[in-house]
Amino acid sequence: MKRRFYFWLLMTMVWFINGREVLGQEKSPFLVSAAAQGDHQMNMSDQKNGGGFEHVHALAIDAAGRAIFLGTHVGLFRSDDGGRSWQKVALSAKQSSFDVMAVTPDPKEPKTIFIATHEAGVFKSTDGGMTWKESNTGLGGPDVHGLAIDPNDGKLHALVRDKGDAIYRSTNGGGKWTRVDDGPGGEVKVLTSVNVPTGMGGIFLYAGTAEGLQRNPDCF
Amino acid sequence: MGGLPTNRTVNGFAVDSTNPKTMYVAMRDGLFKSTDAGNSWKNVGNDLKNLAAVAVNSKNSSEVYVVTADGKIFTSADGGVKWKSQR
Repeated sequence: MKRRFYFWLLMTMVWFINGREVLGQEKSPFLVSAAAQGDHQMNMSDQKNGGGFEHVHALAIDAAGRAIFLGTHVGLFRSDDGGRSWQKVALSAKQSSFDVMAVTPDPKEPKTIFIATHEAGVFKSTDGGMTWKESNTGLGGPDVHGLAIDPNDGKLHALVRDKGDAIYRSTNGGGKWTRVDDGPGGEVKVLTSVNVPTGMGGIFLYAGTAEGLQRNPDCF
Repeated sequence: MGGLPTNRTVNGFAVDSTNPKTMYVAMRDGLFKSTDAGNSWKNVGNDLKNLAAVAVNSKNSSEVYVVTADGKIFTSADGGVKWKSQR
């Protein structure tokens, strides 16, 4: 009888200890589902040691001057407090993370933002970054290394690498892309339309490359 | 484009939209600023290194942000002269 009492006492203790662990784990499913929804909050230690972002490709401030977007190897992140804390932005229900190469806010439409990805082309948001749609019709390949918007007329230039390697232009906000030029050779990190007149009726495109900064009238 | 380190990768580039001849280049070597559309460059923010990208606030063009390759943010409120870590 005494041995049975100690047996059940032991079992109760085991249950209690395991129960505590389950209670401790109850937070985990919440964190996992939050991350799956793209609401993963980067804490300061993640940012401090850089472990959360892996590798950063792009930084942009929305046209309203409020939200900051960070394009990284592990996705798009957004900060609404000047870069102190970051939340991961969900781009697609199909895939949780993209390698974001460029972030390009429309200077005239504060809620319109374009991003370029390494594996899935261009995405567009028209609600300030809440929802995104792929915007790739006519684009030669999925690996977009630069995305520039003309501040005067909203014309877009996308630089595609590997498959379909070239510069593509869209004059309808990313609805349709047309190949225009080979573009600068070698590795390209950033592509920007700069409102400096060429003297020939257009403005300049600047490209940050492995060989330095290059510029050409409107297109390369 | 004098004043930029030669044969070095330009990782980031940003323009002051209110004065587009003012522009910034982010490199491993640091941050560089031009006020003549890129003809000449000066190194600004001496302590900044290993930069991946730069951005200028279009609503307040003296507000400049840079980020290092591993995700540390620094901000300047005076067009790149003084910098503070954003933590």
